[in-house]
Amino acid sequence: MTALVVVVTLPLLAALAVLVLPERARVKLALGSVALGVLAALMLARAVWQDGAVLLTLGGWAPPLGIALRADGLAAALTLMSALVMAAVALAARFEMRTRRVGARAAFGFWPLMLLLWGALNAVYVSRDLFNLYVGIELLSLAAVALVALSGTAQALAAALRYMIFALAGSLLYLAGVVLSYAAHGTLDIGLLGERIPAHSDALALGLMTAGLLAKTALFPFHVWLPTAHAAAPAPASALLSALVPKASFLILIRLWFEAMPDLASPPAILMLAMLGAVAVIWGGILALVQKRLKLIVAYSTVAQLGYLFMVFPLAGGAGSAQPWSAGAWTGAMFHALSHGLAKAAMFLAAGICIAAVGSDRLGDLRGLARQLPMTSFAFALAAITLMGLPPSGGFTAKYLLMTSSFAAGQWPWALLLAGGGLLAAAYLYRPMAALFAREARVTARPIPRVWQAVPLALAALSILLGVLSATPFDLLQIARPEPAAEGL
Amino acid sequence: MSAALPVLILLSSLIPAGVTFFLAQDSHRFRNMLNLGGATLKLGLIIWMLRAVADGASYEATLSLAPGLVMLLRVDALALLFISLSATLWFLTTIYAIAYFGTKAELSRFFGFFSLCVAATTGLALSGSLISFFIFFELLTLSTWPLVAHKQDKPSLAAARVYLAYALPGSAALLWAIIWLESATGPVLFTDPPDLSTLEPGALRAIFVLFIIGVGVKAAIVPLHGWLPTAMAAPAPVSALLHAVAVVKAGAFGVVRIIYDVFGAANVVALGVGLPLAALASVTIIWGSVRALQQDEIKKRLAFSTVSQVSYIVLGAALASPLAMIGGLVHLIHQGLMKITLFFCAGIYDERAGIKTIAGLNGMGARMPWTSACFSIGAIGMIGLPPLAGFVSKFYLGLGALEAGAPWVLGVLVASTLLNAAYFLPLLYRLWFLPAAEDTTGDDRAPALIGPAVVTALATFGVGMLAASAISPLGWATLIVTREYGP
Amino acid sequence: MTTLYSGSLLPLAVLVWPLLLGLVPAIPRWRNRALLALPLAPLPALGYALAGAPGALFVPDLVLGVYLAPVPGAALFLGMTALVWIVAGMHAALTLPPGPQAGILTGFWCLTLAGNLGVFLAGDVVTFYLAFAAVSLAAWFLVVHERTPQALAAGKLYITLAVLGEAALLIGLMIGVAAAEDLQIASVRDALPDAPLGAFAIAALVAGFGIKAGMVPLHLWLPVAHPAAPVPGSAVLSGAIVKAGLIGMILFIPVASGWGSALIMAGLVGCFGAALWGLTQRNPKAVLAYSTVSQMGLMLALVGAGSGNVAYYALHHGLAKAGLFLCVGAVAAAGTARARLLSMGVAGIVALSVAGFPLSGGALVKLAGKDGIASGLALGLTLSSISTTLVLGWFMLRLAQQDAKPDHQPVWPHLFAGTATLGALALVVPWALWGNVTGFQGSYPLWPEHVLAALWPIMLGLGAVLVVRGRALPSHPPGDVLALLELLWVREVQVLKDPSRLRQNATKGHRRAALRFLLRSRRADKVLQSWPRAGFLLTAVALAFALLIGLAD
Repeated sequence: MTALVVVVTLPLLAALAVLVLPERARVKLALGSVALGVLAALMLARAVWQDGAVLLTLGGWAPPLGIALRADGLAAALTLMSALVMAAVALAARFEMRTRRVGARAAFGFWPLMLLLWGALNAVYVSRDLFNLYVGIELLSLAAVALVALSGTAQALAAALRYMIFALAGSLLYLAGVVLSYAAHGTLDIGLLGERIPAHSDALALGLMTAGLLAKTALFPFHVWLPTAHAAAPAPASALLSALVPKASFLILIRLWFEAMPDLASPPAILMLAMLGAVAVIWGGILALVQKRLKLIVAYSTVAQLGYLFMVFPLAGGAGSAQPWSAGAWTGAMFHALSHGLAKAAMFLAAGICIAAVGSDRLGDLRGLARQLPMTSFAFALAAITLMGLPPSGGFTAKYLLMTSSFAAGQWPWALLLAGGGLLAAAYLYRPMAALFAREARVTARPIPRVWQAVPLALAALSILLGVLSATPFDLLQIARPEPAAEGL
Repeated sequence: MSAALPVLILLSSLIPAGVTFFLAQDSHRFRNMLNLGGATLKLGLIIWMLRAVADGASYEATLSLAPGLVMLLRVDALALLFISLSATLWFLTTIYAIAYFGTKAELSRFFGFFSLCVAATTGLALSGSLISFFIFFELLTLSTWPLVAHKQDKPSLAAARVYLAYALPGSAALLWAIIWLESATGPVLFTDPPDLSTLEPGALRAIFVLFIIGVGVKAAIVPLHGWLPTAMAAPAPVSALLHAVAVVKAGAFGVVRIIYDVFGAANVVALGVGLPLAALASVTIIWGSVRALQQDEIKKRLAFSTVSQVSYIVLGAALASPLAMIGGLVHLIHQGLMKITLFFCAGIYDERAGIKTIAGLNGMGARMPWTSACFSIGAIGMIGLPPLAGFVSKFYLGLGALEAGAPWVLGVLVASTLLNAAYFLPLLYRLWFLPAAEDTTGDDRAPALIGPAVVTALATFGVGMLAASAISPLGWATLIVTREYGP
Repeated sequence: MTTLYSGSLLPLAVLVWPLLLGLVPAIPRWRNRALLALPLAPLPALGYALAGAPGALFVPDLVLGVYLAPVPGAALFLGMTALVWIVAGMHAALTLPPGPQAGILTGFWCLTLAGNLGVFLAGDVVTFYLAFAAVSLAAWFLVVHERTPQALAAGKLYITLAVLGEAALLIGLMIGVAAAEDLQIASVRDALPDAPLGAFAIAALVAGFGIKAGMVPLHLWLPVAHPAAPVPGSAVLSGAIVKAGLIGMILFIPVASGWGSALIMAGLVGCFGAALWGLTQRNPKAVLAYSTVSQMGLMLALVGAGSGNVAYYALHHGLAKAGLFLCVGAVAAAGTARARLLSMGVAGIVALSVAGFPLSGGALVKLAGKDGIASGLALGLTLSSISTTLVLGWFMLRLAQQDAKPDHQPVWPHLFAGTATLGALALVVPWALWGNVTGFQGSYPLWPEHVLAALWPIMLGLGAVLVVRGRALPSHPPGDVLALLELLWVREVQVLKDPSRLRQNATKGHRRAALRFLLRSRRADKVLQSWPRAGFLLTAVALAFALLIGLAD
């Protein structure tokens, strides 16, 4: 209970506090709060693990009168993952977001924005109210847009603007859906919506909300803001943007389609979601293949990886939710969200180190860097293993669960997509790897502190560890899962 | 104890691997001690277990990752066959590699991945479930890539890329097959063959084909063999390991596991997939040999020879008769011994005399008698002349083919023998009969390089000479087949 | 633990001793003088043969279970082989230059010898195959020992045929073993006629052994290899090694079926054809080689006819033919006219014996061979004396033309002694064994009709030699049908070598197309970035979802 409160409020309070502190103290406070946040997330996960979902009604008022926060297994897992990523980002930012490196404005702005983003994320994870979720995601988008614009260059501002317009359009659509839904049922609580009497406007409401959230999740064909935003943002911000931000809107989609309005999940709608995901996997992969800059490769890889998440809809959504394989599919998708978060953050942080070392992220400039930055290169390789879905990484567990379910459900084309996507990932990640590990005589890299180098390595190792020790997270994700079907396969 | 042993065996190469990565480049002494220590420990454990398993013991360790994802490490006779090969050759290759590289750069990385590769092979051998097999299979792919790319020059990197380009789609096919099968039967443990009746024969055939594609890439079955000859760009110890123990053997071992422990020999026959596979293996045997004939580089010739020879194992497994299986299994060991001898020698020629092409071998018999003698033994073994190792495999394969009612295999075996002779004998001819070119240099006064080659050459001779005894690979293969797959 | 072996170790010792001696050159200090070990290597075998080849041995752990049991007639074969190898070994030790190459020769000489002895001792198929492979392949080194281009070319032909032969044998033996489900030679032979693919297996075996035994038309290597090999090498090749093929025929081919007649046919063709073709040769060793083909044809015909005296015949032929080859060496080494005359004399006597001159060893073995076979074949045997006389007479003529090799002159007396001993043994040993082997009384060969039957063909033959003597005979290089084959072979190898280039270009083309597609995809992504399109898409997706969800209701 306390942990839940801490998780939501601590980042917001810290965000306010860092505004008034000088640079030294600002970094210290941010790091301290991140450490505390990790601790709180662990406590929350433990509480959920031991006693099931943690419920907090603000002021003791139960919905629909009051607002409820509820941490189920999924929320706890995402909170913990986010806290870990935040910790890593903060550690890396301690080196990267220095005044003499990025200028005073960015060095100042990064910390409150990061903490704000974190707070918004946590709020989205545990909210059970459509409007709260709107507020959370709006806050999230704002912080993210600001992070993109942080460097202040024209390119960054253009990217931020593009992002903001997509985000705002998404928010508007989402808000319209929320309003429609509220008008029809008089409640915004997800649990209560699940028990509502169906109304005619529900289809439109869900459609609007879904489209809005897809724009924020950067699913194909709304992915176009993501790569440009990444190209402009500093690496720690990119890490947040790729690893965490899309997960929040995805989580809302899950809440909507699995908890609030599962009855509306018609097969064609589900198929369309999945098809968009499938196209994203392929399209993102192909585009990642033709990029020349490391960060763009990783960014397009995000576009592709997000597509996997949507396999959850055909395999576990709608009529499938009652089937025995839905547990596997659902958990698989969530596993993917977790491992992708860790691995992608590691990759962007590694990219940040490369940029700090040679001043560019063009593949040609990175050649032979593995000799100077062995730990970073190794971290990149480990993260790549997760993204390719090779064992024993978390990505593999996710892919395995999803593939098993797709066979069990008789929908083997999705398995084909998963397998093909993995190969595509191998193809596009091979190029940066080959560049890093090439033998090149004339590489002059600025020295990078070892602690900084260790950060992405730790994250990447965690993403592998998620696969090796997948039993515990698997069980955690099951706690208070919507529509608990028969256990696993 | 019985659960700790398999884990301990795995750790005996995994720990040196992990530690080696973090060693400074110039801590040669400690690194060598560490790797040799691990290898020695592993050999000891295996010898200890060989006795126990011969008496009927088996060891197991389980780790459940997620529902359906069961890591099972299990020592059975077949696993032990493969690990004893890998452990012995790892030990020898480590000595060889230490001598080969001397004090060159990037050795911590090399030995780290080298040990990791062996750990993966060990895990693969010990795997008691399909999923753990797959996991180690992938670990093997990944740990071999840096080894192939080790030199970091253009051909090495290209070879490494080609390797991945073959290996990863292969893995995808394998995973596809595993999941398809397991989605119908539940997790597959090798101890307890799955009930295949829930799947249509057509689906089972498709799964089988996917399985074979998956492991066939590693086993270099034509037309999935393209990566192997290019992987020659790797340094000699890597080639030796790749061709004799690790990658291609993992593939061949996979074929055996899939046919005997996943599908069951009877089902393979009933599904009608055994003969096509045998035919494919035969095509591979012939094609590999024909291509070997056209190569002028020693290592390339050896590589194509591997393509050809490894399919003997596949052939033995696919024929699904007891004698053929014995032949296939024993060839797993025999080919390893012979091929590693050849690659050791090829490395010595390259390292000590700068010889890379066949023409360079002229007259080296007199200059480098030890190397050349070992090379000759390996080559003659490959041709399959008695009493060397290759003959024993071939003899059993031939008898097994007749037993399985596939006499055409004899033709394949004989054609392969002739082709082997055609591409190995000219080498021996050059070594021993032709005069050396004036400007050749080189000697074989490098005991740490020659030693391993001599040991494997003697072993090639020994396992053939003492084939009928119970402790020989043949004896062990017979034990496996009679005990575990017998009628 | 099972026992290591059962039975007598004697047969094993016969084989192990030469192998041990073969390791002598591995010791650097002894390497250059290793040739001295050669005459010692066959001694245990000789002793064993004199003792009547007693005992059998089973070593279960060795190879696939080694079973050593002397084959029928083993004592004769072993004794002959041992004698030939001893004398040839002495010749080699005396004439071949010491040095590293001599070390290599010693090793493989001993290995060949062990194999040669092994084929007469093997009781199981695998041991037989092992021994056969050893004698067949290790002899490669005897052929190429001098490293001249001619020797190397001959070696190439030899090894090609030897490997082909090994392969053919392997097929036949495997089919036999699979049918017999047993490794014993006797059970394999019994199982072969009724085995599935049995006929094929027998054909393969006939081919495999035929190559070694110089059966026409698989005799190609013999006339090419003999002139190229050093004299002692030729002696053991023609005297002893070809008998490995013969024993294979005896042991494995079920002659009772049609295969017997096939062997007779091939044998007779070889017997007369090779003898006549031998007249086209200039090199005395090549002439002798054709004579060997001819004689082996005769023996094969006897095998096909089921004669029990093939071993006896082979004994004489081995000693005599080895003696003749060594005579070539002795003549070459003869420094004085007297020495040359003596050497020629020995050669002439031995040649007459081979032709079957009355009361010689050769006449005895022919007489024994005629026993128990059809009269037609017996007539063939008689007539063969004519052709043999003719070809060996031609050999004597060519030998007389041969130049002397001055560097061997000092050792001529030793060479001559060895050669003469071997020749004498060829004349005498058949007498000594006559009663034991044939069971006829000792005076049987002295019967006038036998003497006469032996004499007239020889006289005819000698007359033919006189006719031939002054004529300009056509001269051909050794190897008759080989030239044609070589032509085909070369063309085939060239065809094999080309195709790799073409394919490389093809893959490059594919790669370029793929690249173009990928680069286009980047442009396509830009399309999605324009605002109107993005807005349109967003609305479209929202409505599409609403529609799709609504459809379900």
